[in-house]
Amino acid sequence: MDSTLPRVAADTALYAEVLDWIHTEAELLDDLREREWLETMVSRDVTYAVPLRQTVERARGRGFSPDTFHLLETYGSLDSRVTRNETPYAWAEDPPSRIRHFVTNVRVRQSGDPDIVAVKSNLLLHRTRQDQSLPQLLSAERHDELRREDGRLMLLRRDVLLDLTVIRTHNLAIFF
Amino acid sequence: MTSHTDSSAKLLDAVTEGAEKGVIPASIFGDPDLYRQELRNVFGRCWVFLAHESEIPAKGDYVLRKIGEDNFIVVRDDEGEINVLFDACRHRGVQVCRSDSGNTSHFRCPYHGWTYNTKGNLVGAPLWRNAFGGMSKENNGLASAAKVASYQGLVFGTLDQSAPPLKEYLGGMAWYLDLVFGLNEHGVEVLGPPQRFVIDANWKSGAENFSGDDYHLGTLHRSVWEIGAFPVPFHENMMGYHIQASPGHSLSFSMAQDANEPGPNYFGFPDELAQSFNTTNISADQLEVARRSRVFVGNVFPNFSMLALPMTEDGSNHPPVGILTLRTWQPHGPGQVEVWNWFAGYKNLTPEQKDRAYRAGLGTFSMGGAFEVDDTEPWITVSRNGASTAAELLDFQLNYEMGKPGVGISKPVKEWPGPGRVQWTRYEEGVQRNMYGFYAEMMRSAPGQWPSLVFPEDAAADKEHRA
Repeated sequence: MDSTLPRVAADTALYAEVLDWIHTEAELLDDLREREWLETMVSRDVTYAVPLRQTVERARGRGFSPDTFHLLETYGSLDSRVTRNETPYAWAEDPPSRIRHFVTNVRVRQSGDPDIVAVKSNLLLHRTRQDQSLPQLLSAERHDELRREDGRLMLLRRDVLLDLTVIRTHNLAIFF
Repeated sequence: MTSHTDSSAKLLDAVTEGAEKGVIPASIFGDPDLYRQELRNVFGRCWVFLAHESEIPAKGDYVLRKIGEDNFIVVRDDEGEINVLFDACRHRGVQVCRSDSGNTSHFRCPYHGWTYNTKGNLVGAPLWRNAFGGMSKENNGLASAAKVASYQGLVFGTLDQSAPPLKEYLGGMAWYLDLVFGLNEHGVEVLGPPQRFVIDANWKSGAENFSGDDYHLGTLHRSVWEIGAFPVPFHENMMGYHIQASPGHSLSFSMAQDANEPGPNYFGFPDELAQSFNTTNISADQLEVARRSRVFVGNVFPNFSMLALPMTEDGSNHPPVGILTLRTWQPHGPGQVEVWNWFAGYKNLTPEQKDRAYRAGLGTFSMGGAFEVDDTEPWITVSRNGASTAAELLDFQLNYEMGKPGVGISKPVKEWPGPGRVQWTRYEEGVQRNMYGFYAEMMRSAPGQWPSLVFPEDAAADKEHRA
């Protein structure tokens, strides 16, 4: 997100709307209401990416690859994932792991397009499976763009910038 | 101590005996003593895959890779040669490579500043004359892998000076690598750096699966047919060949019985690409086998796997297209494996075709992919049960009998243009029995000694041929 874009203050209606959107999304994903999330919160034009990260020297930046990913999704492929999880053979997440999205540090900026807001947030994803007592934790910064479509904010773009190079979880059959 | 060694030796005896009969002790997936022996006798001796040449095209390009659990710098030097250097300073053993990949002329230790060139030679240290004047720089370079070699762009290294040449180690497998990577004069390149993920499983589960476990698709991966990710129905996909290319290395082709069935051909690679395939680097027989193949999956012992097949991440918008994934199963303790996953494609694919193949591969065969997300699920419990006291006390044996004489419909094939032991239909676990038979021999071989790298019947035929 371009940090020169005008910041939307926390005491505005727009900020409150974005925050409410984030909380609603987290609830749907935590409750495994993935179909509802896809159909009511995700734009048909969505790009959803989790770029690959490498350890590099400070001078070379943060190490995110511009063209290699852990996930690179469109609406069609997200729909494919949701559909897969609805089959009785999606062993990876059946029984499902228990997931909690903790979203903080929400920063909202206006974009050049009046219908689009740019949102940065920090994500801590807490996950356990079966009788695991120690959680898997995935920490990331999310860079989102939300577009107003027929009056509702919809997810147009999400980049999930993980704080990891080697991912220690049994699969990524989850939504960030 | 003695009892531990005894238990490993007993396990290995059981593997050797069981690899013939089709029973493998579950404890090999969790025994810690066996694991330590694997690091030394398997990963410390075999040729292991490190990188693809296209990852380090320019002088000074390097990637940080693993042999067993240990870090090695794979670097192209000023003369264009690839060196594999142990990432440990000669002075105090400190890591000298600080990034996963990059380009450099030197590696400098952060501790006292010993500095090495891309051949691993020591070139200097701060205030050299005061500190080390009179001392030779020779013999104070970084340690290197004992041998380094490439085949079809695939870079391998071994820590064992007594290892046979790579081509000899690959044995019959080389013929099959040719027809995946050498279909035209352009060859293959990786599509970006590898994904890395750690799961609580034993490395052998991945290796045996890619040696040719096609039967699991019908149950574990049933969901992918429901979403239209893969075009060949389960039953039809079980038709094809299981091949023990040479001791340790196994592979599998999905292929219709009718040579002229409509396809997919060439692992589902685009037709425009297929038109560029030719016999410049391979034989007409190899080209024909590739043409007829819907799926290729294989494992170079111990831990380098490949898979080529038609896939789509979004069946409603994109038809399946041939993807190619390369991966290593890096050991990380008896109950943990780090999976490295590369996508690759022919260099003469168009940018659009590369993008399509990359997306299709990522959406299916990666840690978030529709196929692969399910694979980790069983492997986690294989290793948990393998480490269990129950498996040890009950002498719990796993069944690897599919396709043995009298078991199922798979039959040996006599007429086949390539090397190895060949079975028709993929209802067969000889490919795994081959991996474990060689594994046990490798584990038992004394330093400097190597198990046979050819099957007895091939050795006899070769002798006859020469006579």
